[in-house]
Amino acid sequence: MKKGTLLVATILAVASRASAQTPADSLAVDNADFTFTESQLDEDNDAQQTISAISSKKDPYLSEVGYAFSAVRFRVRGYDNLYSSSYLNGVNMNDLELGRFSYSMIGGMNDATRNKEGVGQMDYNLFGVTGLGGGDNINMRAGQYAAGNKLTLSGCNRNYTLRGQFTHATGFNRKGWAAAGMVGYRWADYNTAYIEGTFYNSFSYFLAVEKRWGDRHSLNLSTFGAPTERAQQGASTEEAYYLANSHYYNPNWGYQNGKKRNARVVHDFQPTAILTWDVKPSASQRLSTSLAYKYSMYSSSALSWGDNAADPRPDYYKNLPSSIFNIYNDNKNTHDYLDANPYLTDQFYQLTEFWQTERNRQIDWDRLYYINQQNAQNPQNSNGEALYYVERRHNDQQAWILNSTWSHSLNARHKYAVGAEVNHTKGMHYKTMDDLLGGNPITDIDKYASKDYGRYSSEAQNDLNNPNRIIGEGDRFGYNYNIYVNRAKAWANYQYSSSHWTAVAQGHIDGTGIAREGKMRNGRYANNSFGHDGQRDGNEARFLGGGLKASLTYSPNRNHSILLAASLSSNAPLARNAFVAPRDQNNFVDNLTNEDIFSAEAAYTFTAGKVTGKVGGYYTIFRHGVEQTAFYNDQQERFTYLTMTDVDRRHYGVEAAVSYSPDNHWTITALGTWSDAAYTNNPHAQISYDGLDAATNEKLNACTNPVTGAAEPLRVVADGMKVGSTPLAAVMLSVKYNINYWFFEVQGKYFDRAYLQFSQYRRLSSVLKSYAPSSFDADGNMVYDVTTAELEENGGILYNADGSYNASYSPKQEKFDGGFMLDASIGKSIRLKRGKTMSINLQAQNILNNTNLRTGGYEQNRDDFYNTGEEKAYQFSKNPKYYYANGFNFFLNIGLRF
Amino acid sequence: MNHKNLLAILCCIVAALGFSGCYNDFDEADTKGYTVTATGIAEPNTTIYAVKAKYCANSSAAGTSANSSNFWTLVEADEIFEGVVVANDISGNLYQSVYLRELRPEAATEAERDQVLMLGIKSSCLYPYFKLGQRVRVNLKGLYVGVYSKAPKVGTPYFTSAGNNRLGPMLFDALRTNVQLIGEPNPDAPELQPIDLTDAKGQAWIKDSSNQTWQNCPILATVEGKMKEVQGMAAKNPEAGTEDTWEGVYEDIITFTNADGTTQYSKIYAPECLRDAGYCVDRTIQFANGSAVTLRTGTGNRISFLVMPFDSRKYTGMLTYYSGWQTVLRDADDIYPQIDPTIGTPDF
Repeated sequence: MKKGTLLVATILAVASRASAQTPADSLAVDNADFTFTESQLDEDNDAQQTISAISSKKDPYLSEVGYAFSAVRFRVRGYDNLYSSSYLNGVNMNDLELGRFSYSMIGGMNDATRNKEGVGQMDYNLFGVTGLGGGDNINMRAGQYAAGNKLTLSGCNRNYTLRGQFTHATGFNRKGWAAAGMVGYRWADYNTAYIEGTFYNSFSYFLAVEKRWGDRHSLNLSTFGAPTERAQQGASTEEAYYLANSHYYNPNWGYQNGKKRNARVVHDFQPTAILTWDVKPSASQRLSTSLAYKYSMYSSSALSWGDNAADPRPDYYKNLPSSIFNIYNDNKNTHDYLDANPYLTDQFYQLTEFWQTERNRQIDWDRLYYINQQNAQNPQNSNGEALYYVERRHNDQQAWILNSTWSHSLNARHKYAVGAEVNHTKGMHYKTMDDLLGGNPITDIDKYASKDYGRYSSEAQNDLNNPNRIIGEGDRFGYNYNIYVNRAKAWANYQYSSSHWTAVAQGHIDGTGIAREGKMRNGRYANNSFGHDGQRDGNEARFLGGGLKASLTYSPNRNHSILLAASLSSNAPLARNAFVAPRDQNNFVDNLTNEDIFSAEAAYTFTAGKVTGKVGGYYTIFRHGVEQTAFYNDQQERFTYLTMTDVDRRHYGVEAAVSYSPDNHWTITALGTWSDAAYTNNPHAQISYDGLDAATNEKLNACTNPVTGAAEPLRVVADGMKVGSTPLAAVMLSVKYNINYWFFEVQGKYFDRAYLQFSQYRRLSSVLKSYAPSSFDADGNMVYDVTTAELEENGGILYNADGSYNASYSPKQEKFDGGFMLDASIGKSIRLKRGKTMSINLQAQNILNNTNLRTGGYEQNRDDFYNTGEEKAYQFSKNPKYYYANGFNFFLNIGLRF
Repeated sequence: MNHKNLLAILCCIVAALGFSGCYNDFDEADTKGYTVTATGIAEPNTTIYAVKAKYCANSSAAGTSANSSNFWTLVEADEIFEGVVVANDISGNLYQSVYLRELRPEAATEAERDQVLMLGIKSSCLYPYFKLGQRVRVNLKGLYVGVYSKAPKVGTPYFTSAGNNRLGPMLFDALRTNVQLIGEPNPDAPELQPIDLTDAKGQAWIKDSSNQTWQNCPILATVEGKMKEVQGMAAKNPEAGTEDTWEGVYEDIITFTNADGTTQYSKIYAPECLRDAGYCVDRTIQFANGSAVTLRTGTGNRISFLVMPFDSRKYTGMLTYYSGWQTVLRDADDIYPQIDPTIGTPDF
């Protein structure tokens, strides 16, 4: 055996067991309030989890924590962004299909979106009842921008390299008109972006015009958008990172004609217009009515391949050295075993050497063209269709939103706000042929169904209304459907305040309807895929939701206050989770119900001399949630939907922030949180494999009781699994100093308790091993052929001797190592002649250049054994895919007001 | 209001909207001269016959012998031979393999004049590189030669999903050092002409078990016969499959309506429900003289779903033996007269 094979294999094994994260372009600090850059704010819509963007200036913890830990994808309290509410000019712009606000909608408009009011979930506000994660409202009315010009130029080494913004505002003139506009551009090319093989090309614009009539009426029209084209990074395994000698290895790109090309390119443009009519009958009353329209065009490209073409992804597991033998098996990763099987060593080294050449670990575009061309010319093939192509998956959306808000301060103690909102959203989902890569047009049939039912079967057809359609570049194929979501909502906020007490009560009620309209008659679902065929209840699933919140604050004096708050809500499931297999069919998920949420929190806020702070705790229970994952299932070699219903989770934790300002120059701030966010039951599971008909899928939605042999409904053994890809513990110490318009800050941050996103597929009751008792011990206790340690590591389900359920264990979930990050910034404001000002700010992040900070990742959806029970050489459970925080990076920002 | 500035912003918006969204456009790749194979392998110094005689004839002489049907030897010297591609994976029925045939009419013995050897390569979709009629030069140095289930093969050992050690495919990357394409494919190459075993003499040859030798394995051959599984009442008698198959279909009978409105019972070549551990289905071609060969077909490819005809057809494929002769077709048009693939399928 060659020396070192064992060593390399062992290093790979150890490296894969080490810790992980998501790439984040980072902080764009300006001379005003901080803002997140777009990549931090879920601009990458493909990321499974995103950070919490909402902040509340009233709260010393919330005002800092999201910003401070954005680089490690921190989510406040472990909540998904869908529990935060984002408003523009008072209109809730959260996407009704996905639940989240799309920050790319306002990407690159930092100077146009600074007028923001952030509130916690229990705070009284004038724009609505927010979700658990709180909310914010960005005022984009023309009249609120200070008259003048602002030019901002930025340079950084993050997702983009250069940014420029120019803003102009007129303020109100004597005739009551005001106008404001902004243009911006962000850029990075293949050679300058932080992650190799990516680029960024984004323009942004904003225009607003407002007309005021007297003191009572004003009408404002704001319109904005940010057409963007950007290339994506893909997560990879620790083995791939090790072989590429970089935690920023990106498998999504490769060379074509000697030039870099990325396979996954996002096109994103969401032009939006909001017309707002404000009426102020008196100083204490206000009526604001808005009509918003958004047309979102989002698409992402991806490599695809037909027939029996080989997987072209460079980090496909069969291309990796660890696919040669099980390096994690202590009986095989030995000198004796490898000496006895020297070809394993040879192949291991051959692939290692192969991988260490850059061209080989990236996509070989030339090869894909070559194969397509060869296939087109092959006399053996009469049609010679393209074997490889780039498809573009579109998720377009049109939304009309009408809302009206009435607020009234009755007197110094009582005030209220009420409102109503209707939202009609139409999501349009389809894919188009982006690039045939030099090959011939293809036939619109499903490659998986072709293998199961035959190329000429009806099941193979993606659209029975247009069978065997020939697909050229630009044509729609595969799937094409619309999702309709209609929601009406009414809400009310009330606040009572006295010298010692403040009470807030909030309530809302809403009705939501969800429907799918198929534009193709899918061959596997001929009777329930086209139009509204097969849907229930007049083609629409309807849900009634609502909620109540109450908080009570006692302030014995100005320096101390205690808050107690609780909320209860019932929310309609998201449209994105509502269908069994939305690409294929109209059927709704079984057990589709509202998600119920109960949350309580308490906090103590204090000021003691030069020290201010807050200590609080929260406890939140989620019941009957619905979660869906859609992924390419390597195990079954087909696209798969897996939906969990009746999902229960529990989030709780403590939060604290304290700030000490000995004088006007120094501020020392410390904050931290320790929390838990975990699943508390084993939800029902429903799985749908692309390419299979309904009867077959139904058969596969069951597992077998090992004692009785009876079929049992599927479950995901998720009890105890943590919410992944966010730190659940974090502390920060910040020191700020300012003098003569100079600003200095140093931040030290430590985070921990971040977990890998667990694979629901690997925890399906049909995938986990089930055990019946093999015997009884002397005391009559059941004995199983598995140890508790093995169950805790690999998972399993235990049954009693009569076939009843005994216990279940979920496979161990990886916890990342904690990490430390040191950031610093320096800034200077300069007053120029004629009232002009200039600000310069330089921020350096991750100064220690720690490139081993995992921010997120996910387990692969495949298990480690063949159907024969024999272990596979490649151990999927030991090879999750990780994201890492960027190493040292900077952001230089220069702003000029004139 | 400063109209000039706002006008400038509007102009920027219009210009930028036109500019955006064109960053990732590429010209078609120039693939002239592109290759995944070696380019400088020396002239041949051996023949397929000599290679098989040296490494495939005797398990006791092999470097590693799992059993008498599976053994292999690492080749440590530059042993170079040439052959012409006579079978590839274009239909998906052959998997991770191409077959090279060498004709040497000048050779002293009949066996030396016509030999075939399988190259195992760890990738699907090999046919764009290895078209029929393509001459290929192979340097065996660093590769393993032996037999897999008695079939002579070049590749690398591996462990099967059942845990057995067998001679499997070489890494695809080994093509860069060990395999070279010589010239352009010749669709009229004499190597593509199969051995005709359709006549009485051929059927007798098959019946004679003494022909089951490494010299005759594999061969590109044509046989002729009827599918046993659809003869007489057999067409209506289902063969029960295992109950845990993917589609949940347990019988291999299919029915369809003929043009005259009558119901036709038949079977397809390789239904999923009958697949074995090798993801294949064995059917039987019966000859006029009563002897037979096994037709082994993988599931999920374009041969699998063809409806088996009742009448006699010619079948051209790679003929090998294990316990008896079996043939594997290269593509659907290896059945002659060809079978209409739309028989039994919906009329769109």
